[in-house]
Formats: sequence, C-alpha cells, structure tokens
Amino acid sequence: MKEKQKKVKLVAHKKKQYKRFTRSKAANFMFVTILLVFGLFMVLPLIYSVVTSFKPLDELLAFPPKFFVTRPTLYNYTVLPSLLDNLQVPFSRYAFNSIFISVAITVGHVIVAGMAAFTLSNCKHKFISTVFWAVQVALLFNGYTLGIPQYLIFSKLGIIDTYWVYILPALQSTTGVFLMKQYMDVSVPKALMEAALLDGAGYYRIFWTLVMPLVKPAWLTLSLFAFRDAWAIQPSGTIFSENLKTLPVAMNQIAASGIARSGSVMAATVILMIPPILVYLVSQSNVMETMSSAGMKD
Amino acid sequence: MKKSLKDFTRKKQMYGRMFILPWEIGFVLFFLQPLVQSLVFVFSNVTVNFDEGVFETKWVGLSNIRHFFYEDTVYVDNLVDSLTSFIYTIPLIVALSLIVGVLLNQKFKGRIVFRSIFFLPVIIATGVVMTYLQGDATAQAMRSGSSSGNGIDISNILMSMNLSENVSSTLLGFVNQIFDLFWDCGVQIVLFISGLQSIPEQLYEVCRVEGANKWEEFWYVTFPMLSGTTLLVIVFTAIEIFTDSGNKVMTYGFNAMRQNMWWEGPTMLWVYFALVGAILGLAVLLIQKKIFAKWAN
Repeated sequence: MKEKQKKVKLVAHKKKQYKRFTRSKAANFMFVTILLVFGLFMVLPLIYSVVTSFKPLDELLAFPPKFFVTRPTLYNYTVLPSLLDNLQVPFSRYAFNSIFISVAITVGHVIVAGMAAFTLSNCKHKFISTVFWAVQVALLFNGYTLGIPQYLIFSKLGIIDTYWVYILPALQSTTGVFLMKQYMDVSVPKALMEAALLDGAGYYRIFWTLVMPLVKPAWLTLSLFAFRDAWAIQPSGTIFSENLKTLPVAMNQIAASGIARSGSVMAATVILMIPPILVYLVSQSNVMETMSSAGMKD
Repeated sequence: MKKSLKDFTRKKQMYGRMFILPWEIGFVLFFLQPLVQSLVFVFSNVTVNFDEGVFETKWVGLSNIRHFFYEDTVYVDNLVDSLTSFIYTIPLIVALSLIVGVLLNQKFKGRIVFRSIFFLPVIIATGVVMTYLQGDATAQAMRSGSSSGNGIDISNILMSMNLSENVSSTLLGFVNQIFDLFWDCGVQIVLFISGLQSIPEQLYEVCRVEGANKWEEFWYVTFPMLSGTTLLVIVFTAIEIFTDSGNKVMTYGFNAMRQNMWWEGPTMLWVYFALVGAILGLAVLLIQKKIFAKWAN
C-alpha cells in the first residue's frame, strides 16, 4: 500500500515538471462556471427527485410547480410500509428476489464473460475472430427485438416462471465480453502467461490466479453495469407467480394507486437508486481505467 | 517431438473451447437462434399452431416489408422522425462530451467529485427510476424550462423572435431534450478523458515552445490526437441512441409485439436495424477516410 502511494507521488512529481502555464483569472472563472452549469444539468433531476420525495401532498400538486420544498415532511417515507402491506406478497419477498437475481447475474456474468474473453484474447484461431466479430455486431441489437423467439426457447427449456428466466439470458450479454477482451489484450502481458505455463500452471489456474486479479478493474466495471441492469429487471410475460417478481414490479403497484401517491413513488425511487450508487462507490476508481482500454481498438 | 507439440496444441484448443463454451451456449441459445428466427418472421406469414405450440411460417418474400412502406400510415413517418433526430442529437452529444471531457481533464481541486457527478446518470438513469423521473408532471414542466421560477418561458421567447414555425419547433424540441442529451453523455465523457490522457505531454511542450496559443493547441494537437477516440465515441453514441427503447420506431415495434402481431414487430425492427446499420457503417467509413485522414496529414 505504502509503495503504491510512493509511486503515485513519484508520478505526480514527474507531472509537475510539465505543468502548464497558469490560467488567467478570467479564464479560471469561465472554466468553473461552465463546469458548474454543466454539472448542474447532470445532478438537477437527481436533486429534484430527492427534494420531491420530501414534499407534502399540496406542494406536489401545486401549479405552477415549485422546484424546492417549503415544508419538508417524512410522510412519503413513513407511509411506505403501510402501502407495502397492501401488496399481495410481503415486501421482503420482492426485495429478496431483486437482490438475489442481481447478485446472481452480476457474479455469473463476470465469470462467464471473463472466461469467454480469456479465450478470445489468447486464441488466434479463425473461428475465434469470427466470434469476436459477432460480438461486435451483437452490440448493435436491442435485446427486446428478440422477445417472441426468446419466449419459445424459454418455454422449450421449461424455465418460464422460475428464477432462471431472469438469470440465464442476462449471462451472455455481449457488452461484458467486449469490455473484458479489450482490457485483457492491454493489461495481461503474454510473457507472463508463457512463464506461468512453463512453470507448470494449468490454464484453469492461470485464469483464476493470474488473469482475473490482473483485470480486476475490468470486472469491477462490468459488475457495476451488470448490477445496474439487473436491478432494473422487470419480467415481461415470463413470470406469472407473484412471489417471483422483482422490486420494480412492487413499485409499479404503488404507483398504480394514483396521483395521491406520487410522493411515495418518488420516495421509493430514491430508495431504489441507492444500491446501484453503493456499487458505484465500490468500483468507482476502476471505471475510468477500464473505459480507457475499451478505446484502444485493434 | 512433433507429436508432443501436436498434443500440446490440441490441449490448448480444448481448454480454449472449454473456457468459451458457457458463454457460447448462451449466445447461440438466447441471441443467435432468436435472431435468425425473427429474421425468418420478416419474410414469412406467421401463424400459431396452438395445438402443438409452434409457429408455422410460410415464405412470402418481401410483402411484409412492402406492407409497412405502402400500407401502414405511421411507420414511415416514425422512421423519418427517428432518423432525422439522430442528425442533431449525435453531433450534439459528441460535442458536449468533448467540451466536458477537456474541462475535466484540467488539473483542479475537486476534479474527482466532478467526474463522479458527470458519471452519475450512467448509473441511475435506467429502468424504473428513469420512467418515473420522466413521467412525473413536475419533472416534465422542469424539462421544458418553464419552472425556472421567474417564468422564463422559452417557447414565448422563440415566438417573439418571429421565427418560422418549423425552426422554433425544432429549437423547442431541442430544449425539451436537453436533459436527455446531458444524461446520455456519461460514458462518452469518460472515453474522452481517457483519450486525452493518452496524448503525450511533449506535444504540448512543442506547442508552447513554438508559441502556439491554447486555441491553436486544441485544433492542431488535441483534436487530431483524439480522432480515434472521437470515432469510438460517435459509434458508441449512435448505438446507444439507436437501440434506446424510447425512440418512436422502437416503441411502435414493441407495442406490435406485445399485441402478438407475430410478423409486424420483427419486420419493423429489422428494417430499422438494417437502415441504421447501413447509415452507421457509411458514416464510419466516411469519417475515417475523408475527415480523419485529412487531419492526420
């Protein structure tokens, strides 16, 4: 850890030699203003939803609408449990489903995509390059397009109305394979792998103890994206039993109780935002690094 | 000697196959196979045999596609609408993220906080959360710029400027979309920042020694050096927007699919994807050949 810090300091020191000329005061001012304005655009909807979740009913329905809350209340949050009591299945069940599915998809996808990327990155077979081409083309398609034929396959496999119907189709997402492959190309030195092979390590061991630790930034980023998508999953015609449905479905039910509940819907929205943000905070420093390797094509 | 080498290669191949297998099965089963089937739907008359639970397809050639171009009243309009909106959204997003990327690449305090803020929409702007944010009446009022408190109504300003209706409605549409535009920039900004960081510092030093100002520095060093990243960002943005389930063609297609119109949905979406793919391919070729080749010289 300390060594790492030292390294960072060294790099910082080097950079200082190339420090650009300082900006003039006016330029500095412009710079900060532009950033602040742009940043405001980014966070405004977020702030708005947090603020709205604290609004009492009369302020929610006020016209013209006000951005800020004048008399904040916790009512929207405190009423949530009683609203949730009206659901057909206990709320904890929805929460469990969402968490279980998200974690299963995230872990499964990282492993499946990592293994596929391992082959794609190390084999020079013609077939493999065709597969990688297919991966890139597949990035273009929106998954929904395949709804009907996919349903047929689900029913043939007999996985309709089980957890599998959420998890299995999400595991093969091509974005992950693409990202992992690009990162592996850059950050796993071929010489290191050869050395490991000479020392008698099997491919299995190389993958788990050498490659995966080296590409940690990539799979952390990947888990962020996978978790984000999995967290928002809503079954469309593939799940019929209520106790297998996810949190977004429960939220739709709250929203269905009408405009008087719009405050509670906002409150629920704010709560639903928290888990992906937590995952982001964990993986945050690695996201940048991975995305930069995605840029190094060919 | 030769034999053992062969064994080694075979072992290697076996491992390679084993590692890619789980993903491959999923890819073929849940992507490739449905893809082919939906392509078959485009060219056939589909009926459902409920006794056996299978689709029966009869080849009809191009008549499905013809139906949408000659008989359907909305599809072509939707298609044109979506495609023209891309003409201004894509350059705007790319330009915005380039500006923000350059700004965030400077050294200043709180840079990490700002970077996180600009990446935030990527994390939360999906699924349910987005639906409710967009569906909320107040949020909509805010998006159209009329709730800024002082009652600055953009549509009024535009009207007072005596612009033709076409121009002002386009402008108004743009203002309405400004939040969506900003929220689509997250990943692109990160891509630009990483591109900027890979530009060697020496080039800037040369610039300074030669006496170039910041403006020239940007156009003669930064921008050309970013050409690869820019292309990537353009492609990424295009894909992100094309496959966004919110656009008109997509919504129309999904609704058809939801109503169990077996061949209508796939046909609409396939025609759309084919067009988009062709446009994207052409654009990339053009940019690579014409513009960046010039910049590089």
